[in-house]
Amino acid sequence: MLPTLINKELKAVILSPKFTGTFIVCTILILLSIYAGLTEYKESVRRYDAASQLVSQELQHQTTWARLHTKAYRAPDPMQIFVSGLEYDIGRWSPVSSQSTAKLKNSVYSDDSIYALFRVVDFTFIVQFVLTLFAILFTYNAVCGEREDGTLRLVFSSPVSRAQYLIAKCAGAWLGLVVPISIPILLGMLLVLLSGVPITADHWLRIGLLTGISLLLFTFFIVLGVFISLLTRRTSLSLMVALVVWVLFALIIPRAGVMFAGNMVDVPSVAEIEGQINGYSKDRWEEFYLGMEDRFAKMHGSEGEGIEMSEEKMWELMQAEDSLRKFVTEEINRYDLRLREDLRQRKNRQEKLALTLARLSPASSYQIGAMSLAGTSLDVKTRYEESINEYRNQFVKYADQMQAETGDLAGRMISMEVSDSSSNFTMSSSRDKKALDLSGLPRFDPPRVGLADAMAPAVTDFGILAIYIILTFMGAFIAFLRYDLR
Amino acid sequence: MTKDLIDNTLPALEATNLTKKYEDGVLALDKVSFSVNRGEIFVMLGGNGAGKTTAINIFLNFIEPTSGEAKINGIVSHREPLRAKQHIAFVSENVMLYPNFTALQNLDFFARLGGKQDLTRDELQAVLLRVGLQEEVHHKRLKGFSKGMRQKCGIAIAIVKDASAILLDEPTSGLDPKAGRDFVELLKTLRDENKAILMSTHDIFRAREIADTVAIMDRGKIIMQQAAGELAGKDLENLYMQYMAGSNNHTTNTTGGVNAGHNS
Repeated sequence: MLPTLINKELKAVILSPKFTGTFIVCTILILLSIYAGLTEYKESVRRYDAASQLVSQELQHQTTWARLHTKAYRAPDPMQIFVSGLEYDIGRWSPVSSQSTAKLKNSVYSDDSIYALFRVVDFTFIVQFVLTLFAILFTYNAVCGEREDGTLRLVFSSPVSRAQYLIAKCAGAWLGLVVPISIPILLGMLLVLLSGVPITADHWLRIGLLTGISLLLFTFFIVLGVFISLLTRRTSLSLMVALVVWVLFALIIPRAGVMFAGNMVDVPSVAEIEGQINGYSKDRWEEFYLGMEDRFAKMHGSEGEGIEMSEEKMWELMQAEDSLRKFVTEEINRYDLRLREDLRQRKNRQEKLALTLARLSPASSYQIGAMSLAGTSLDVKTRYEESINEYRNQFVKYADQMQAETGDLAGRMISMEVSDSSSNFTMSSSRDKKALDLSGLPRFDPPRVGLADAMAPAVTDFGILAIYIILTFMGAFIAFLRYDLR
Repeated sequence: MTKDLIDNTLPALEATNLTKKYEDGVLALDKVSFSVNRGEIFVMLGGNGAGKTTAINIFLNFIEPTSGEAKINGIVSHREPLRAKQHIAFVSENVMLYPNFTALQNLDFFARLGGKQDLTRDELQAVLLRVGLQEEVHHKRLKGFSKGMRQKCGIAIAIVKDASAILLDEPTSGLDPKAGRDFVELLKTLRDENKAILMSTHDIFRAREIADTVAIMDRGKIIMQQAAGELAGKDLENLYMQYMAGSNNHTTNTTGGVNAGHNS
């Protein structure tokens, strides 16, 4: 009985005039989204390679260990072809130096605001907004339409159980619509494969999981459409309800959740934090320079009026000042880290609340899960900044070590003139033009997201979507038990 | 699904004190009892709201009775609906089938629902030909079919299901005279094939022409029930009007009908 019913539903979907239109639209949109993602990925790789070369060149032109600095760039990942996530919102590089902690700057959207205007249309966008809409439009009249057409009575004059009928409605629509989605997805994969993008086995697994979570969202909206068709007796009303629910799930709840979380958890802006850090830094350096004058005067005074400072004393003073300068720098860094850690924790709380609320919508849950699988979710910024900070520590440690070994004092040249009558100690700021030996300098290795890292947060969203499907199906079944078949 | 064996000693359709009171307080059926045997056409005659469709809906388990039972081959329809429905076919006033399917596809689908999984295309086409649908329309989508053609498809479904009882809810309503006539002839052949047929109608002439038993219903009650033999020589239209007038005046008419004399 069930195969007969499913077969009929499948035929009904395929023979409906909507099917051809859906197939064409899905094929065009999915292929275009993958093609656009592919093009953008290749452009990202080109930009990344050019930037990496530039970083190497800049390093080679540096002449002092004390002020050694570089940049760390985010590496593109093939998964961004399918799920752009926050790829274009987050800065592409961070400065690496002893002077500042990691902070990603210059996102694609901040550099080219025009892209931010309408955002990127990627595969997840198509699933989240187009396919879910199709799912609803194919199922909103699943049962009430048959009642209106008069076929429901005829079907139920046969020995058909309501459970079988309901399962067949969902399964038939699902099968009928998965075909128009699967074909362009497979063609898209082929396109990616032929384009020479370095897709590893790990990537394929993640793409498989992405397809899986997309199908879960799609299934939810199919079951939801059937459920809505059971809540009303007229198809016109059912369509209206379905569209309102779709708008709520796809557009309103995700945004409302984020806005609500923003109001509930107070998070200072980055500008405020930077203002505080700059203020603190300014105070500390003013204090240092004022103290420096005193210390110099005191040291000079101990030598006696009119007597030039001995070279040993001068060297001692220079070393003391240098270590004091480092101490101030470290203090500022500690303050910077403390404030940023506080900001990070507040942001974490806000993000958690926003994500929890947004997950009330299956569409958001899907988006979050898909971004986790692709490694383009909210934590990409944290992951990169943590990784860059770790790199920065290695970088600074190595530079300090080399500075100590080479006696390089911030690019200042120390010269001494000794004559019979007096010895002059002078310090010039002319730079040593000799290039640094950077062969031992640690290189930044962008953090890679493994399958386990990607899967762990996505498991929650797989589970949430499965629960939503089960609950909606149960709701539909209960509604159908009470449904008047006449 | 394997069909139950039929106990031929039991009536194919049997209503016992069938009562239905809706939530809004309307008493649609009031202790209605009747039975339809194999090879019999039982016609429920009455105006709108008489309770004819309610009785059919209870047999089909679309609604549950408030009290009483509707049995199909001895199976209580609201207790074991799936078993009971193995033995019935239904033709509504306006047979609606899947418009994007052809006549053959519709017939195949409903035959399968009725447990006929292995019918060949030739067998299905033979049924369509039998009900008067010519071969050239077998592969046409239903969306272009007239009401008469759809009713023929409906009766083809009833035939192909090979059910022992057929329920028809005003099946000839709105048909042109020829289509109506063809339909009636088909029902007669089905009766001859030992099917029990329960038909509701407000067409007195059609009822007279086809019925083995006529029950006049009004406001949920059977106010008169007579076999065709008893009606011979009587003017059914006059009789109907008299009973209806009598029912309206709350008078008692006891002419041997089941439940006759119950005031509504």
